[in-house]
Amino acid sequence: METSYERLISLEDVERKVQERFPDLAADLRNDELTVFCKPVQVRDVLQYLSTDPDIQADWLIDLSGVHWPAGDHEIERQPSTTGWPTYRVSRDQGVIEVNYIVRSIAKNVYVRVAVQTPDEAPTVPSVTDLFPTANWHEREVFDFFGVEFEGHPDLQRILMPEDWVGHPQRKDYPLGGIDIPYKNDKFIPPPDERELREVVE
Amino acid sequence: MSATDATWENDVFVSGADWEVVEDAVGDNTITVNMGPQHPSTHGVLRLILELNGEIVNDIKPVIGYLHTGIEKNAEYRTWVQGVTFFTRMDYLSPLFNETAYCLAVERLLGIEAPERAQAIRVILMEFNRIASHLVWAATGGMELGALTMMTMGFRERERILDLFESQTGLRMNHAFIRPGGLANDVTDDFEDRCRSLVAILRDKMNEYADLLLKNPIWMERTVDIGVLTAEDARAYGVTGPLLRAAGVEWDLRKAQPYCGYEQYDFDVVTEEAGDSYARFTLRLEEMRQSMRIIEQALDTLPGGPIMVEDKRIAWPSQLGIGSDGIGNDPSYIRHIMGESMEALINHFKLVTQGFPVPAGQVYQAVESPRGELGYAVTSAGTNRPWRVHVREPSFVNLQATNHMAAGHMVADVVAVVASIDPVMGGVDR
Repeated sequence: METSYERLISLEDVERKVQERFPDLAADLRNDELTVFCKPVQVRDVLQYLSTDPDIQADWLIDLSGVHWPAGDHEIERQPSTTGWPTYRVSRDQGVIEVNYIVRSIAKNVYVRVAVQTPDEAPTVPSVTDLFPTANWHEREVFDFFGVEFEGHPDLQRILMPEDWVGHPQRKDYPLGGIDIPYKNDKFIPPPDERELREVVE
Repeated sequence: MSATDATWENDVFVSGADWEVVEDAVGDNTITVNMGPQHPSTHGVLRLILELNGEIVNDIKPVIGYLHTGIEKNAEYRTWVQGVTFFTRMDYLSPLFNETAYCLAVERLLGIEAPERAQAIRVILMEFNRIASHLVWAATGGMELGALTMMTMGFRERERILDLFESQTGLRMNHAFIRPGGLANDVTDDFEDRCRSLVAILRDKMNEYADLLLKNPIWMERTVDIGVLTAEDARAYGVTGPLLRAAGVEWDLRKAQPYCGYEQYDFDVVTEEAGDSYARFTLRLEEMRQSMRIIEQALDTLPGGPIMVEDKRIAWPSQLGIGSDGIGNDPSYIRHIMGESMEALINHFKLVTQGFPVPAGQVYQAVESPRGELGYAVTSAGTNRPWRVHVREPSFVNLQATNHMAAGHMVADVVAVVASIDPVMGGVDR
């Protein structure tokens, strides 16, 4: 198979085509990357559309990963005086787990990220193993680390952690445990997320 | 003592994890056998549950996770620069690719680009690393299939490459040499000479490997038509790298989405048609030769200039130098921060202890590692630590195709198939 190594469709065109087909989807184009945000019920349709559309042909599922955004207030950006970047707060009533699919088109030499958000209390996303067999282990990994239930997965069980492990370690609310120091005069070192690391001062 | 009493005292009971729940260890015509995780031919701690019908393998179930170290989680509690030290330890046979991919992702979020000289040195080191990785593959793969001479030869030449890495980065493996924004240190003055003489040696030795194995009837018997993977199956399983190119698909991220200035070097993307283990062997041999072409071109055009971005808010401040007591902090730099400039000391202190914040956002940066597409999906929340770093490891993905490639073959061929995939368990389990 000859490959031309030229980008045969621009990301703007992909964005336009996706939004023509799915008018209610939001898309974001930055860092030379197109992200399509969709609901869990749509993800199979969107991925199927991206892989079968003759102008896009993004039929390689390259990566599937999760990101946990817990509920609460998060201060984003803490060094405005030196960097010029703004400070803003993100407040979430509902924690979410974002599942990112990266689909690549070898024919057109582009890749698109499809981002799906699901509530972190009962995360559920339809499985895409029947569309992309490679999703099998990726989905098991996201289940293992984030507890996302992939409906329709043939064999959804832990993959990297031991099978009797409790909890989903990549979630931000996963307790990390502290370091118990067996010497006198030393105090208990709290887990990293509770540690007062050197905060950025302005 | 009667025969019936003697049983309990002397019997050894073996139990382990899920072994009790593996269904039907003995079926009508089949038997289920555990291969690994401690097995000389599984490249580390890969466990394969084989369902055998006589000598024929019906089904293979890879079990992974024995080397899981939680690097992705750990990195969330370290600064962006400290992340390099973690990620270089994942796929320990290609550390420089991990470093480069991670640093490129961070640089994209920061909106900076490393200087030309740093990019060219990255390319040279990465291509040497590719050769070293392929040499280990040839060595261990050869050993597993009975060609022990290949093992001694492969490790012999790899040692020379590691010597070069040690001379430039201070460490043979796990260098943490490539940093967001450039490199930790400039290369030595004799870098070019060292590289050129090493390429000359390797080019010479490469013929030796070809002479030994290319037409070796035993080697061909073990690899030809073993573990065939077609292009369509490769797509379904997401298989990339040499396995994909051996199936006839010309796809290389160095050409498709050039990074580190790969577009300026002239090299061929090697492909084979057969898609079997033998094709992967010849393909990797040829890839090593192409890597040498790239190295020579990069040495010819190696630009001068800085090796770290100018921006003092990002550039790692410390400089290394040779003192009377060996390598350490550069005395002139220590004099500068301790005696001349209070601001430089503050900047040094802040960068080393707090790191720098990275604008919020998400990028996916992929490089062509020796095993395929190595992708870093990096998410920043705008702080001085990564919010989440997910690594798309080529070994992890490629391993999924084991069953497809080896089912129907003999047990001994499973070894050949796993060897041709070249999984590195440190990368698979992360």
